[in-house]
Amino acid sequence: MKLHLISDFNLETLQQYLVNDSSWPKLSVTCAPFGQVFPALLQPVADPSDFALVWTSPDKMVPAFAAALDQTAVDEDRMLSELRHFAGCLLQAKERFRAIFVVSWTLPPHQRGNGILSLKRQGVRKLLLKMNLTLAEELDSSGSIYLLDGQRWVETVGKSSYSAKMWYLAKTRFHPEVFRHATGEVKAAISAVLGAYRKLVIVDLDNMLWGGVVGDLGWENLRLGGHDYHGEAFVDFQKALKSLQNRGILLAIASRNEEAVALEALTKHPEMVLRPSDFSAWRINWNDKAANIAELVAELNLGLPSAVFLDDNPVERARVREALPEVYVPEWPEDKTLCAGTLLQLSCFDSAYSTGEDASRHEMYATAKKREQPGRILITAEDWLRSLETEVTVEELNDVNRVRALQLLNKTNQMNLSTRRLTDQELQVWQQQNCRKLWVFRVKDKFGDSGLAGILSLEIESDFARIVDFVLSCRVMGRNLEQAMVAFATQYCSGLGSREVRADYLPTAKNNPCFKFWMSSGFSYDETKKRFTWPLSQLYGFPPGIEIQFAHSLEGST
Amino acid sequence: MDLFPKPSSANGGSGFADVLKVIYESISDLNVQLPADRQIDKSADSVLFGEGGRLDSLSLSNFIVITEQKLYESLNFPVDLTEDDPFSPTTGHFRTVHSLAAYVCELAERRSGAQ
Repeated sequence: MKLHLISDFNLETLQQYLVNDSSWPKLSVTCAPFGQVFPALLQPVADPSDFALVWTSPDKMVPAFAAALDQTAVDEDRMLSELRHFAGCLLQAKERFRAIFVVSWTLPPHQRGNGILSLKRQGVRKLLLKMNLTLAEELDSSGSIYLLDGQRWVETVGKSSYSAKMWYLAKTRFHPEVFRHATGEVKAAISAVLGAYRKLVIVDLDNMLWGGVVGDLGWENLRLGGHDYHGEAFVDFQKALKSLQNRGILLAIASRNEEAVALEALTKHPEMVLRPSDFSAWRINWNDKAANIAELVAELNLGLPSAVFLDDNPVERARVREALPEVYVPEWPEDKTLCAGTLLQLSCFDSAYSTGEDASRHEMYATAKKREQPGRILITAEDWLRSLETEVTVEELNDVNRVRALQLLNKTNQMNLSTRRLTDQELQVWQQQNCRKLWVFRVKDKFGDSGLAGILSLEIESDFARIVDFVLSCRVMGRNLEQAMVAFATQYCSGLGSREVRADYLPTAKNNPCFKFWMSSGFSYDETKKRFTWPLSQLYGFPPGIEIQFAHSLEGST
Repeated sequence: MDLFPKPSSANGGSGFADVLKVIYESISDLNVQLPADRQIDKSADSVLFGEGGRLDSLSLSNFIVITEQKLYESLNFPVDLTEDDPFSPTTGHFRTVHSLAAYVCELAERRSGAQ
């Protein structure tokens, strides 16, 4: 694929960036001698499937505009006539190229023009706006000439975007950073013309569409809207997703949650912008997200290269990147106020066409869902979990970890065996008996430190032990830490000479995920007593890939 | 210039080490636009410009503005690296990464001497 750079200043730096950029599409790039814009536009090119980028200075293409920079009277008729001549050459050249990208005209930030008069009468900025608008209108009817927003490129780099030194040294107007940014923009423009844009956004729910974990808090207590800066930010992010949907981009959900709980939140929360009907498909369950995404893409009859996955959890992002490398997984800000802007600045949704069908594509999918074979997962979930290099540190309850342990105990709903709520004093009283033990579990992996994420407590009777608290933060659920905690409990009890370990499940409206884990744990289950049991004549092994270490009690431990 | 209290053109001065770090960051940025066979190693011995160097005059110009900006942003040191002709074979301060770092320190010395 070939791109011709045409300019009245030196674009060789952009050429270097484009040639050395490894992302698709790979380009072969030529650079016309700078200053020869019109001959370069009008001379025949070898292949009409080539692309052209035309990036010029307003005062060079429209000499009458130079008078405005000199603060002398501008002949506006002449200015527009010169502009139309330039536009005419572009229109004449369009048959020679598959598409021509024209960068809109800009001025350096230091160009104050006429000060407060810059946007009045013949002010410099007003004339520039008029020129860009006229150029846009002249080119509007041409299906293969696209006016790109150069002002945004310059603003992205900021006040150092124009470089006087680069002009004097190399006759190029911009700091290299502008060309680096332009490389991505030009590639996005070519991808758009080639139809290779992303058509599906798959989004996580908790701490993406709303603040908080719906399974723990309930939909009534989510941070969404209201007089709350985070709540407002989540509403704006949902609006940004909605604006993508209005452009014809499909929305889907991949979330670790109870489906009924999540759908209830989407349906009932009064400030929810996106409702279930806005999503073309969803996978709301506790399965591997990569597998869910592959299924979603197949269900919607799209390819993996059509999909973008948004998740606040870096572990989930990394998992999907490795398992499904064709899915685009952008980095995501921790600061929730930045989420809407981060979404809107993605260029992967840029399409060269905007039709009524685009906007209604969502409805078409909603009425004609079709399931195909899921995409191929490169790395299994188990292999992935082993690659996380998860380290678990087990600590006895002490004065240092007590506050966080109480917070976790009292707010966790989903992975919580008994949903016991205790005050600090109640916990201390409970723990005073020697037959009772409580540990906390700290978790970290190659992506970061999740901190104190689990609680396990035991009550040891004469020949059996009972798991009283089995609590795990939803941030780390589904990473085999549940099995590791059970293995720790069973092996500890085995060391004490107990015959069996029991876990009595106390159902609540929110702890079904915990029940599902225990049902898959290998323990036998007595439905009448709601009791899970493991005979300690058998070893319950630690899951592979998790390193467990025991921290010695700190001074002041209870 | 606080960051260059006793700039030294020899290895070991704290100012020198800071400058070297900034130059390495600039090399990272510049390498994005360079082909694989012209990538510059982040080493004091890397030859930049002149015989055996990886930079042509355009790349050197880019490298100059990138480095100037980073020196200003990271060390609050506004500097004109073209004060002495960077393209001249006789000045040679863009010959290697080490000679460039030494040159920046020298400019800092000149600055503090003039104050």
